[in-house]
Amino acid sequence: MTMDLITLIWIAFPFLIGFIIYLIPTLDRSLALLGTIGSMAYAALLLLSNQGPLTLRLMDHFGVSLILDPLAGFFILTNALVTMAVVLYCWRTDKSTFFYAQALILHGSLNAAFACSDFISLYVALEVISISAFLLIAYSRTDRSLWVALRYLFISNVAMLFYLVGAILIYQTHHSFDFVGLRGAPTEAVSLIFLGLLVKGGVFVSGLWLPLTHAESETPVSALMSGIVVKAGIFPLVRCALLLEEINPIVRALGLSTALLGVSCAVFEKDTKRMLAFHTVSQLGFILAAPVVGGLYALTHGLVKSALFLIVGNLPSRDFKVLQQKPIDQRLWIALTIASLSISGMPLLAGFGTKALTMKELLPWQVIVMNIAALGTAISFAKFIFLPHGEPDKSAISKPENPGFWWAIGLLLGALVLGNGLYLQAYTFETIVKSVGTIGLGWLAYWFLFRKLSIKLPRVLEQFEHLVGVMSLSLVVLFWMVFV
Amino acid sequence: MLGNWVEALVLATILCGFFGIIFKKNLVMKIVSMDVMSTGVIAYYVVVASRIGFFTPILVDSQKGAYADPVPQAVILTAIVIGFSIQALMLVGVMKLARNNPTLETREIEKSNVL
Repeated sequence: MTMDLITLIWIAFPFLIGFIIYLIPTLDRSLALLGTIGSMAYAALLLLSNQGPLTLRLMDHFGVSLILDPLAGFFILTNALVTMAVVLYCWRTDKSTFFYAQALILHGSLNAAFACSDFISLYVALEVISISAFLLIAYSRTDRSLWVALRYLFISNVAMLFYLVGAILIYQTHHSFDFVGLRGAPTEAVSLIFLGLLVKGGVFVSGLWLPLTHAESETPVSALMSGIVVKAGIFPLVRCALLLEEINPIVRALGLSTALLGVSCAVFEKDTKRMLAFHTVSQLGFILAAPVVGGLYALTHGLVKSALFLIVGNLPSRDFKVLQQKPIDQRLWIALTIASLSISGMPLLAGFGTKALTMKELLPWQVIVMNIAALGTAISFAKFIFLPHGEPDKSAISKPENPGFWWAIGLLLGALVLGNGLYLQAYTFETIVKSVGTIGLGWLAYWFLFRKLSIKLPRVLEQFEHLVGVMSLSLVVLFWMVFV
Repeated sequence: MLGNWVEALVLATILCGFFGIIFKKNLVMKIVSMDVMSTGVIAYYVVVASRIGFFTPILVDSQKGAYADPVPQAVILTAIVIGFSIQALMLVGVMKLARNNPTLETREIEKSNVL
């Protein structure tokens, strides 16, 4: 079988499974697992075979075009692992068939978004992602979840309308919707397309919808959203930055500002899930800051962030203040610490190698800010590491433990430890000293300064009305960035 | 000449929709404004397609004249379908929300549910 055929089958596979789940509801979980295993096998094939990028062009120059290379491979692997962990997590819960079917359709459309390299296929993939993410967020059907989901769908749909206008402007210049068409396209086309992708990917101020959406969703849905769904907006930006040198500095600058914005909000946040969500914003900045190695960074971030969301969802409270009062379960604390250490860049975990790699690929003007952002990461995760912990109080356990939880965490953290082997060249004396130093400094700063601070950042800009307004402002700013 | 006017009107429709999204307080009105905006975008695709010619691109033996570009029209069909399904989904959501938030003012909904 040729690679082309395998690719086409792989794209259709999750959708097919997703619909079969509806027909055979008793097998929902096993089928969902099968769908993710398929993607994992394909990602492994893509990463291990050194064939070079595979380019597929279905129909003519205005048809669908796909690029499959290691960059896409990393994103697909992340997608497979995160979805698998979420399916395992939900295995023993009372999630209905509908949930698994939607999860698989979401998985399939994410795969499509990571494979395509033309604006219209990307548009379709992103819209399907919005719809299935909407259904997953609104799964519990409470007023709160419905409103969070509606906001999400509304914001992303408006952004995608701008994106569509940008896409037709590109078609007008080149008579093709390919990503490379950004070269030579009018300024307004590039800024409209970027606006759509920035909002979708939660980048910089246009991504301020993200903290609320990710924090207020249910635990497994938060894990999916933060682990992989936002990356659907990030991936095309990385792809464009790699295809076109003109775009590269813009993407790097956006990454820089996003990393700083996210981390400065995360440091002051007093709510665990919101802290994680803001931190996602900052990590997306890291992916964009060094597009060449973005794939690997996305993989480690996806694994860590979904693990963290799953763990935090099982803590007794969301408020750091309350958590500091009473010791948390020892085992939960260990898992939490491993994940936190990885994301802070501790050696022996995957986060160390990827962070070192990203730092190496930075341009001189980015280095200082990104180091500050890394320090901010260490500070914000010290909040988790220094939580009091102890033997679980047997009498106090109110809800029965979910066995799927440990399967999911085992998978994600195991992959993190294994992922450490992907870039062994990082283990030089200098990088080890630097990253351990950053973590140490971050912990000191936390212990002596941030632990006692109680600054509450205003949430004005996160209000629904302002999100749309900010969108128009970012459009103007983007226009000038591209223009210059 | 005419083409430019049509294009300007279509872009004005998109802007009107967008301003509606910003300035209308009611959630249903916001969704309707979004529909206006998406109608504008769809019309823009049609305008761009008709640059080359006005005839409907149907394959026949005898050539009638300059055809409109079929690609944007084909592409926008997908967007129309996606647009109305999102619209439908949102309205269903709004129906459920309306039970406890009868005024459907976004500010009120946000205040009572999230912030």
